[in-house]
Amino acid sequence: MPNVGAELASIPFGKMIYDMASAIARSQVALDKASIQLVKVLASTTFDYVPDVVETLLPNPRQVKGANGAPLNDADGNPVMITGVLVQTDVGDSFPLTLLQAGVNPTFYAFTNSSIEVKMSITSTQESSNTFSVGVSVTASADFLFASGSVSSHVNFSSANKYSYSVTGSSSLSTVLNPVPPPKNMMPRFFLVNAIDPQKISVSQS
Amino acid sequence: MAFQMYMVAFEGAFSQGASRDVQHHIRKFNGVTLMVMKTGIIAAFDDSVAPFVQQHPSVKLVGGVTLNPKGFAAERLQRIFAENLAKQIEVKPQ
Repeated sequence: MPNVGAELASIPFGKMIYDMASAIARSQVALDKASIQLVKVLASTTFDYVPDVVETLLPNPRQVKGANGAPLNDADGNPVMITGVLVQTDVGDSFPLTLLQAGVNPTFYAFTNSSIEVKMSITSTQESSNTFSVGVSVTASADFLFASGSVSSHVNFSSANKYSYSVTGSSSLSTVLNPVPPPKNMMPRFFLVNAIDPQKISVSQS
Repeated sequence: MAFQMYMVAFEGAFSQGASRDVQHHIRKFNGVTLMVMKTGIIAAFDDSVAPFVQQHPSVKLVGGVTLNPKGFAAERLQRIFAENLAKQIEVKPQ
């Protein structure tokens, strides 16, 4: 008879879990290294940041033009004026800003759920067939002085047994990879020192 | 799969031709370019495309990035991304 318990016990669960955990750990290290590499790239990639653009609206009075472009006057001969507006633009000096300072953070990933699924199918079949045959033959002869007889019998018995036993198994490993916020130890701290008021120093970290 | 934002860093010194070539490469995989810099570009494309982008000879590194709203120029970057994205999206009549 198949021993299901023994078959299940033979599955190397411990090794499977170890191999999976080991693979996840190696992958996690590789992912973290790639993200740290990305921190360096973001910290060295700069673009010219224009901190401010000041637009000033200035009065720009002018006389309204009439027919043929001639200056228009009212009935009393006074010029018809409109306020008008002139936009003066003052673009602040640009300075280099890294992508990390600007707010582009690297994505870190972490494996969250991992599962191992083992499916096992045990099939056992048994066929037995028996044949049994009995034969009896009787011969008799007689004449005037002598008579004889014989009885013979045979018994045939054959037995056949077929026994098959098969175990098939499959296993699947699955894991979930999620983006997570950058670990604090891997992100630089930003110190903002206000030169106008050096007492005010703000520290921030992504 | 998810559409994500990536930093695609260039291999070696900046060249206009290589930068355009990488942008076309990303476009080929239905990705969009959000911002172009001398050392790389910020683009958005499907997760599954990342290995193909990485294979481009002018690409040194491809890594997922997110926009930190507390960043010094996060709002400005968001606006730049949106403007560049709008230029690349085709609106087809139904």
